[in-house]
Amino acid sequence: MPTVSRWMIRASLVYLLAGFIIGAAILISKAYPSYSSVWSLLPIHIEMSIFGWIIQLTMGTAYWILPRYLKGTARGNPTTARIMVIIFNAGILVNVFSFMNILPSTAIVLGRLLEVLAVILFIALHWQRAVSYNK
Amino acid sequence: MPRLARAFVKTGLVCFMLSLLLGLFMAFQWLPLPGMEPLFWHLLMVGWITQIIFGVSMWMFPGRNRSEGFWVQKWGWFTYILLNTGLLLRVVAEPLNYLSESPVWNLLIILSACSQAAAAVTYTVELWPRIQSKQQRREQRKKKRKRRKADRQKPNRERTN
Repeated sequence: MPTVSRWMIRASLVYLLAGFIIGAAILISKAYPSYSSVWSLLPIHIEMSIFGWIIQLTMGTAYWILPRYLKGTARGNPTTARIMVIIFNAGILVNVFSFMNILPSTAIVLGRLLEVLAVILFIALHWQRAVSYNK
Repeated sequence: MPRLARAFVKTGLVCFMLSLLLGLFMAFQWLPLPGMEPLFWHLLMVGWITQIIFGVSMWMFPGRNRSEGFWVQKWGWFTYILLNTGLLLRVVAEPLNYLSESPVWNLLIILSACSQAAAAVTYTVELWPRIQSKQQRREQRKKKRKRRKADRQKPNRERTN
């Protein structure tokens, strides 16, 4: 498994844990409405569970498992792939900090932009790899 | 396909069907119960998507223990039981908690929340050591081979002594 995939899959597991723990706290607050302040964590739960866990694990596994190039570097430019991981996780974290009011709410635009940039890099890295070498 | 992966995929398919049926019931307002929307989303995202990811990754990621059995694959089975118990408890307790003030539903909701969070922990325990580079995988195999060799030589040594 390449380094980039290992980074993404490990990060996705961390987000899975965080997302599920926050989700559990929100679910418990349904039984005890006096703890309803945890409902403010709902957007963080969604961001971590969808982008951090599901999408990141899918991207990391695709980078590992899709057909490799027969010539040159097996999975395209590794620096681009590393930048993709950093940008994608920066996007998630910017959004999370913004939902926590550590960053202003307008920072969500920056977070989403970073995620879009990472997806563009992901597509650029994988477009040519969606191929069959069978004749 | 190992038994554990089959259990995850088949249960995932059932949850997929249930979530879509629930969505349909909600659209036609055939099920006028409160709290149906979060149930729909969680059956879809946890019951279907997360469950199929869990099953396929435990099957496809390197380092799988090929022998079948509960204790050999204990973290995988714990994940399966905890995740589905948590989901089932939620499906039962969440709507009933809105309708009745019995503390039993509160308790079931807490159990459901803890069970699903525990499933995330057991899944991480199973998968984390299996996220390896080719080099790490080779070294692990070498160590396993050495251990097996030593285990095989042990009875011989005991016999000669």
